[in-house]
Amino acid sequence: MIGERPFAATVAMLLLLLLVGVFLLAPLAVVAAASLSAGGFLVFPPQGLSLRWYADVWGDPRYVQAAWTSLGLALITVAIAVPLGTAAALSLRRPGALPLRGLWEFLFLSPLVLPAVVLAIGLLILASNLAGGPSKAALVAGHVVIALPYVVRTVTAVLAGVDPATDDAARVMGASAWQRLSMVTLPQAKAGIAAGAVLAFIVSFDDAVLVLFLRAPTLETIPLRIYAGLEFSPDPGVAAVSTCLILLAAVAVGVTDRLLGGKQVVG
Amino acid sequence: MAAVSMTGIVKKFGAVTAVDGVDLEVADGRFVALLGPSGCGKTTLLRMLSGLEAPSQGRVRIGGKDVTALPPERRNVGFMFQSYALFPHMTVAANLRFPLRMRRGLSRSQEDARIARALDLVRLPDVGQRKPQQLSGGQQQRVALARALIDEPDVLLLDEPLSNLDARLRDEMQLELVELRRQVPITTIMVTHDQHEGLALADDIVVMRAGRIEQQGTPESVYASPATPFVADFLGAANLVPVSVEGGLARWPDGLTTPVDGAPGQHTLMLRQEDIAIVQPGAPAEVELTARIVAAAFRGSSLQLSVEAGGARLRFGAPVQGGYGVGAQVRIGWVRAAARLL
Amino acid sequence: MSRSDRTEAALLAAPGVLVLGAVFVLPIAAVLAYGFFRDGVPSLAALDWTSWSRLFADDYYLGLATRTLRLGLVVTLAALLIGYPLAIAIDAAPRRWRTWLVLALLLPLMTSVVVRSFGWLVILGRNGPIVQWLRELDLVDRRFQLAYTETGIAIAMVQVLLPYMVLTLLGVIGQIDRRLLEAARVMGAGWWTALARVTLPLSWPGVVGGSVLVFAVTVGSFITPVLIGGLKLPVLASGIYASAISENDWPMAAVQSVALFAVVLIVLLPYALVTRPARGGVAR
Repeated sequence: MIGERPFAATVAMLLLLLLVGVFLLAPLAVVAAASLSAGGFLVFPPQGLSLRWYADVWGDPRYVQAAWTSLGLALITVAIAVPLGTAAALSLRRPGALPLRGLWEFLFLSPLVLPAVVLAIGLLILASNLAGGPSKAALVAGHVVIALPYVVRTVTAVLAGVDPATDDAARVMGASAWQRLSMVTLPQAKAGIAAGAVLAFIVSFDDAVLVLFLRAPTLETIPLRIYAGLEFSPDPGVAAVSTCLILLAAVAVGVTDRLLGGKQVVG
Repeated sequence: MAAVSMTGIVKKFGAVTAVDGVDLEVADGRFVALLGPSGCGKTTLLRMLSGLEAPSQGRVRIGGKDVTALPPERRNVGFMFQSYALFPHMTVAANLRFPLRMRRGLSRSQEDARIARALDLVRLPDVGQRKPQQLSGGQQQRVALARALIDEPDVLLLDEPLSNLDARLRDEMQLELVELRRQVPITTIMVTHDQHEGLALADDIVVMRAGRIEQQGTPESVYASPATPFVADFLGAANLVPVSVEGGLARWPDGLTTPVDGAPGQHTLMLRQEDIAIVQPGAPAEVELTARIVAAAFRGSSLQLSVEAGGARLRFGAPVQGGYGVGAQVRIGWVRAAARLL
Repeated sequence: MSRSDRTEAALLAAPGVLVLGAVFVLPIAAVLAYGFFRDGVPSLAALDWTSWSRLFADDYYLGLATRTLRLGLVVTLAALLIGYPLAIAIDAAPRRWRTWLVLALLLPLMTSVVVRSFGWLVILGRNGPIVQWLRELDLVDRRFQLAYTETGIAIAMVQVLLPYMVLTLLGVIGQIDRRLLEAARVMGAGWWTALARVTLPLSWPGVVGGSVLVFAVTVGSFITPVLIGGLKLPVLASGIYASAISENDWPMAAVQSVALFAVVLIVLLPYALVTRPARGGVAR
């Protein structure tokens, strides 16, 4: 970081990076540390170090059930959002092919910005009117909506690096539209599709808003359990589960970074 | 192998007219170069031949058959793209197998045989299992060529085939293409903005400008007898001087006259750089003029001189040994027939 | 662009459009319907403004709205003031650092917001490190905590939203042609001057985009304000939850939702219309 930059600027930037780095990671670090607490109270810094809470939590049937529910939900979300999102990204790749392109682009990406609360209420209203109450289908629908933009963005980012002439070349060589997609374009986009799948998975797994509004007795997810644990006095077990979520996020971040090779797609 | 015929071709993209009435006939087995500056419509024309674009008006015929309505996957053309468009997720062999697979009808071993032959043709027999990214630019280009030819198309279309290569590689590849042509005398249409390429490789060149054909003919004839100043300047650096001709004499901008062959009237006089030389003592030229050197650029084996003569600027080459400096007065001359009126 | 290209694009877009239409547009339409019409059935006779008058007349709801907007502005401003220098710093960092720095931004983003809020609850709480430190300095008394205060909510939300701002800014700053900066330096501009006169104006779209994004997400936030702020400091989103789930008052929930939605749209639409992303909206 040295260069024709005034020393004061370099110092300031290093300091900033350090402070903000700590600021950004502090809550995660605190939770992780608290989860290692040997005692029964949640304190930071933890008194004594032990992994007992992890054993506790993974032995607790409610937590295990919640984990399965979260997993199932996330996998279904991926199964639906990835094909839809990939197709959407493909439809947007040729400027001029889709009329009102800006409108569809806005539609596909807007769940990122529009409040999940409003979507949750809407789904609740619909579910109650059509199905008598919140259901797994409504929750899956909500998760697909919030996950879709991530898939669209990662696939779009990778497609931008694909030479459009490969599609033309395949055409001249006799390939049909389906063959071009399946043999030429999609294979070149697979890193984006995989990254989209990982992001869709984690967005669904992490969701706390939609599950709260569309809560049903059989639909308890991990974030919901954590939330419930926080409403009263949380024990380090809640911290242990939370730390597992942090580790899951770390894996997801590492995998997507590997897949996309540094193309920044989130934000 | 087939003849190609494009009649009355017009192509509009919204308000922009890319091709404005082109008729092109290419006889069976000929190599035609479409030459012109960017935006002149040559690539659009090529794409219409392949079917990747459809003409707004006009008809395209390949081998006598009207293919205007046929999509590219149903025509039998080979296309080599400027970016090569090799599939990066497949090996070279898989890339070559692709067109054969699409047409179907061949057994695996027949496909393998064709792949081997194609790689031999472009002199890359050992790269089959490598991925395109592992090849050099020149090798990628040859693979792209092989892929375009492997399915024995009626017509071969080349889009700026050599423009991504550096200068030395380009010269090598030109020779290779000539050699390839000898072995595979397929009807070929090449698009390029590089006049050297066009002149070197083609049987016929077609000079295009603003969506229209300015001139077509053999390289020699078009070079020697350009029809318009644009063509003259595009092929080989030509000196162009506005003159008025009367009684066998051309009057230059400052009033000086030189003998010239041609009808009276206002014309553009064209003198190719290689036709002008500094007059050596004891060897007078047919037509001579006094010139003042304005600039001299060292080109290694020669000097590029820019002179003022007759009220106009002329450029030509001179031997380095002459020691010609800026400001010097020299006599320049040419053969009378070299000065052409356009 | 052939007709088959157009057909292909339409066929590819259709499933996503239809699904989003059914589970995204339709629910939002349902909310709008419930917000304006009795029982959610649109008709002139059913136009019902009672919930709206409650929204604007009742101090509780007005408090909700103002707190939400206040939070939105404070968090956006803070995120910008911290985020911009941070983006400059990350952009200036050598490549190897940069990867790790971006991963440090992404990790909190990919962690569930309940976990992040949990962490803040501990840090800002009565026994948390910050408060302990403040107590040692004798600045506060024994019962002070930052949790359950608006300041606490704001601090936590800045951490939650900062990555959005920084990543948006990084995207834009990264696109600035280095040579422009070099040219400015060669012409005599110092490092700070070049920053102010070249980088800042050129990164303006990122500043606006990041701010719009952060504001929109902040005002729509639910988990963090609820967990950190508790019941005494509700925001619009918690008001919606209370109306819908606790009080079963759907019209009121819908009305608040419409208000929230309107606020977001007012901020978002001008931005979306003015800046059409060139390609798929990768770097916002």
